[in-house]
Amino acid sequence: MDLIAPLLTGYGLWAPVAWLVAFVAAVIIVYLLWKTGESSYKKGTQLERPYLSGNVEPEKGAVHIRASNLYWGFLQALKGYYDVLVPVHTGILSDYLIWFVAVTALVLVIVGVLS
Amino acid sequence: MKLTKSFNRSLWVFHLNTGSCNGCEIEIVATICPRYDPERFGMKLVGSPKHADVLLVTGPVTKKMAAKARRVYEQVPDPKVVMCIGTCGQSGGVFYDSYNLDGPIDQVLPVDVYVPGCPPRPEAIIYGVVKAQEKLERLEAAQ
Repeated sequence: MDLIAPLLTGYGLWAPVAWLVAFVAAVIIVYLLWKTGESSYKKGTQLERPYLSGNVEPEKGAVHIRASNLYWGFLQALKGYYDVLVPVHTGILSDYLIWFVAVTALVLVIVGVLS
Repeated sequence: MKLTKSFNRSLWVFHLNTGSCNGCEIEIVATICPRYDPERFGMKLVGSPKHADVLLVTGPVTKKMAAKARRVYEQVPDPKVVMCIGTCGQSGGVFYDSYNLDGPIDQVLPVDVYVPGCPPRPEAIIYGVVKAQEKLERLEAAQ
């Protein structure tokens, strides 16, 4: 099978060589743009911090809208549910295993009783 | 990569007030007005130190402004020149014995060009800018 030959499926065209040429052209354009940048730029200095009238840059979350703002209403509506559930998510694997074993045992008991 | 060598001589200036009475600011504004029109030589005030070649500092540097002045100075890319405009920046001026000063400017930043006066006239500021340009060309040649 010729890996670099164009493939016409009837629904579309796949031409690896065309994609490769486009990718190389994009890389060359990006490199040329990068070369026009300020060469005296120093990493790890104030040059890479935003200019805020000389003030210290606040923590990002303090000045940006956090992602959780998008679903704030959802969390508020289900507050009673999340108040219980969030503390349970300890991030400790053994806690999750205990929950798994306990819930499995409970389900088996219920199934056993009902059957 | 430079667009053209013609831009080598255009100075972009960032103005920082560290506690000036605004007398120097009035003269700086007079300097950039059409009567003197330094923009025909490519010299203009810019809104960010990151775009500047020259840091133009006025005022005696109050305690609140010292850290901010250092931060702004670090945000000007190399090669850079610091100009001290006015008597307050050189000696503290009428505020020389104030409890609230960390300055004068050369106690906080390395100053390259001093323009004396309270406030200095636009002609003096332009002369200082020419001196700053000469210094900058030497720095660029050394790089």
